[in-house]
Amino acid sequence: MKKPSKLARNGSTWGLAMVAPTIIGLLILNIVPFFQTIYMSFSKTKAFGAYEFCGFANYIEMFQTPEFWKATWNSVYFCILTVPIGVFLSLLVAVLLNAKIKGKTVFRAIYFLPMVVAPAAVAMVWKWIFNTEYGIINTLFGANVRWLTDPNVVMITCAIVAIWSAIGYDAVLLLSGIQNISKSLYEAAGMDGASKVRQFFTITLPMVSPTLFVVLIMRLMASLKVYDLIYMMVEQTNPALTSAQSLMYLFYRESFIAGNKGYASAIVIWTVLLIGLVTIVQFIGQKKWVNYEV
Amino acid sequence: MRMRTKIIAMILVIALALGLAGCGSSGGSSNGKINLTFQIWDVAQKAGMEAMCAAYSEKNPNVTIEVQVTSWNEYWTKLEAAATSGKMPDIFWMHTNELLKYADNGILADCTDIIETDKFSEVSLSNVSGSNGTYYGVPKDKDTVGLVYNKEMFDAAGVAYPTADWTWDDLVSASEKIYNATGKYGYMAYADEQLGYWNFVYQAGGYILNEDKTQAGYTLPATADAMKFYIELQKNPWCPDQNYFAETAPGTAFFSEKGAMFLEGNWNILPELQNYPDMVGKWDVAVLPKCPNPASGDGRATISNGLCYATAANNKNLETVKDVLKFFGSEEGQRIQGESGAAIPAYQGLEQTWVGCFKDYPIDVQCFIDMFDYSIQSVNNASRPEWKSKVSDELLKIYSGQVELEAGLANMQSIVDAASAK
Repeated sequence: MKKPSKLARNGSTWGLAMVAPTIIGLLILNIVPFFQTIYMSFSKTKAFGAYEFCGFANYIEMFQTPEFWKATWNSVYFCILTVPIGVFLSLLVAVLLNAKIKGKTVFRAIYFLPMVVAPAAVAMVWKWIFNTEYGIINTLFGANVRWLTDPNVVMITCAIVAIWSAIGYDAVLLLSGIQNISKSLYEAAGMDGASKVRQFFTITLPMVSPTLFVVLIMRLMASLKVYDLIYMMVEQTNPALTSAQSLMYLFYRESFIAGNKGYASAIVIWTVLLIGLVTIVQFIGQKKWVNYEV
Repeated sequence: MRMRTKIIAMILVIALALGLAGCGSSGGSSNGKINLTFQIWDVAQKAGMEAMCAAYSEKNPNVTIEVQVTSWNEYWTKLEAAATSGKMPDIFWMHTNELLKYADNGILADCTDIIETDKFSEVSLSNVSGSNGTYYGVPKDKDTVGLVYNKEMFDAAGVAYPTADWTWDDLVSASEKIYNATGKYGYMAYADEQLGYWNFVYQAGGYILNEDKTQAGYTLPATADAMKFYIELQKNPWCPDQNYFAETAPGTAFFSEKGAMFLEGNWNILPELQNYPDMVGKWDVAVLPKCPNPASGDGRATISNGLCYATAANNKNLETVKDVLKFFGSEEGQRIQGESGAAIPAYQGLEQTWVGCFKDYPIDVQCFIDMFDYSIQSVNNASRPEWKSKVSDELLKIYSGQVELEAGLANMQSIVDAASAK
C-alpha cells in the first residue's frame, strides 16, 4: 500500500479538525445521552439523579399498563391520520406551485409560513379556532362539535393542525425535486399527446420518488415523535387527555412531572424501536417504488 | 438535505459553546463583592422581590442579588436538573408540593437558626418543615382561597351578595337564580385541587391525607360525600361541564362575563385587577361558603399554602446567603414584600400591608385575611409529585363518566396509599 502523501495527511488532519466541533457536539449532546438513556431504562430512578439497576422491571411494568398501550396506539393513529393525507397534499401543493401561475413566489412564501411560526403559537391560535363554545369554526357552521374534548374527535383535530403546519415544508422539499426533472421529458410526452394527468403519473411521480421517499421517512418519524402540538392543544385538565396522549406526551409526564425517569426512558427506547421498525419496513418497501434512474 | 445537516450541526456547535460559556457564572465573587442569584417563577412578584433585594444591598453594599424569573412550567424541571448537577441558584422559591422531596433528599440547607419562630403561624412553619421536623426554608407568604363573584349578575338576578353565613345550599340556589334570570353560568366548579374540591372536602370534615401524611382519605364517607357534591355540581344546567373548562379556564369565563362565581387564590387578585381594567368595580370577593352538615367541625375551611425562600445545603456562600434569607424573613423584608402587593407576608401582624395595596380598588380583600382563622395546610407529602398527576387523571375519568364515582375514589385512595408507602 502506498503511504499517503504529506499533503493528503495534512488535508485529513485539517478535515478532522474542521468537523471536530460537530462530532464532539453530536457525541456529547446525542450519542452519549442515547446510551445513558438505554442504561437508565433498566434502572429504578430516584430524585436528583440517583438510580439503581433493576433489570427489566420498567419494561414489565410498562407492558402491563393500559395507558402505555393506549399512548402507543395514539401515536400510530396520529401517523395514519397525518402521513398519507399530509404527504399527498404536499405533493399536490408542490405540483401546483410549479405550474405557471402569477405570483407563484408569493404563494410559495405563504405555504411555507406555518413552518416559520413557533409550534406553540400555532397551537394556541388553533385552540381558539376549535373552541367548542366560542370558536370560529363552530360559530360559522352552527355546529356543536367538541373538537378538543370529544375523545373520538380530538386526534383528528390535532392531525388537521399537524398537516396544516407541515404542508409548506414538505411541499418545498418536493418542489425542489420536481424542478430537477428535465423539461425535455414533458415536451416529449406532450408531443406524444399525453395529458397533464398522465404526465403527472408517468413522469412527475416516478422522477420525484426519491424526494418523496425522504419526505415520507421524515414525516413518519416526526409523527411518531409528536409531542409539542398535542401538549399545547390538549391540556392536562382535558377529559379527553387519554385519547390524545402520544408516547412522547406520556414520556414527558412520567419523566418531568412524576419524576419517574427510568420508566420514562423505557418509553423512549420503545419509541426508538418502533420508529426503527417502521423505517426498516420503508427501506425494504422503497425498492418497489422509488426510482433512482434519471 | 446536506444543507439541513450542516445547519443542524452549526446549531449544535453554537448550543455547545453557549452551554460551556454558561457554566461557572453563578455564585461568583470577585474583589470582595458577592453576586447572588435568586430564582422565582412569578413575574408579577419580580418588582417586589427586587425591592427587597435592593433594601438588603443598601445595608450590605458588597452583596448584589439578581432576580431571575422562570415560568412555573419549567421551574421544577430546571431546579431539579440544577440540584442534580450541584449548580442551584443561591436563593430560590420553594413550594409545598416539592419541598419534602428536596428536603428529605438533603438538598436544602437547614434554616432553623435564622427563623423567628414566634412570628410565624403553625401552618407557615409546617409548610417549611421536612419530614424530620427541621425547617428547610424561611416562610415567605401565606395564601387563602376565596369566592370571587360578579356583582352585576347578582343584581340582575335580585340575589343578595354572598356573606359569611353562606352555606353550600346558598351557593347552589344563587347559581340557579342567576342562571334563570340572566342565562349566565352560576358557580363554576371545575377539576382542581387547591382552587376546587380540597376546600369542600375539609369543610365537610373529611381529609385528603391523614395527620401523619401516610394514608389518603378519599374513601372516608365525609370526603366521598363532599366530592360527590362538588363533582355533581357540573350536572346542573348552571355549571359548565369539564369539557368546557378544558378549553376555557374559569377565570377567563368569569372575566369575559360568562359566569358569576369561581374560587380564586388571593395571589391572583391584584394581577386580575390590573389585567382586566374594564371589570374593576364589577366584582368582589367573599369568604368560602360553609358546609351545612359537616361530619365534624363547624363546616368552615379554606386551603392555605405558603411559599418559602430556600437555599442549597452545599452553597459556597452559605453564610452570606443565610444572612440574606434572615433578612427576607425579618419584619422589614416581609413588610417590603407585603407593600409591593406581591403576596400576604407570612410574618404575623403584617397582613394589613398587603390589604393596603388594594385601597385604590373598589374591592374588599379583608376576607382573605379573615379566613386564616380556619385555614387548612395545603395537602402534601414526600411522594406528592408522584401521585399528583395520577390522581388528577382519575378525577378526569370520573368527570367524563369513564369511571363511577365510588370506583374512582377507591382508585385515588390506592394510588396515594401506594405512593406514600414507598
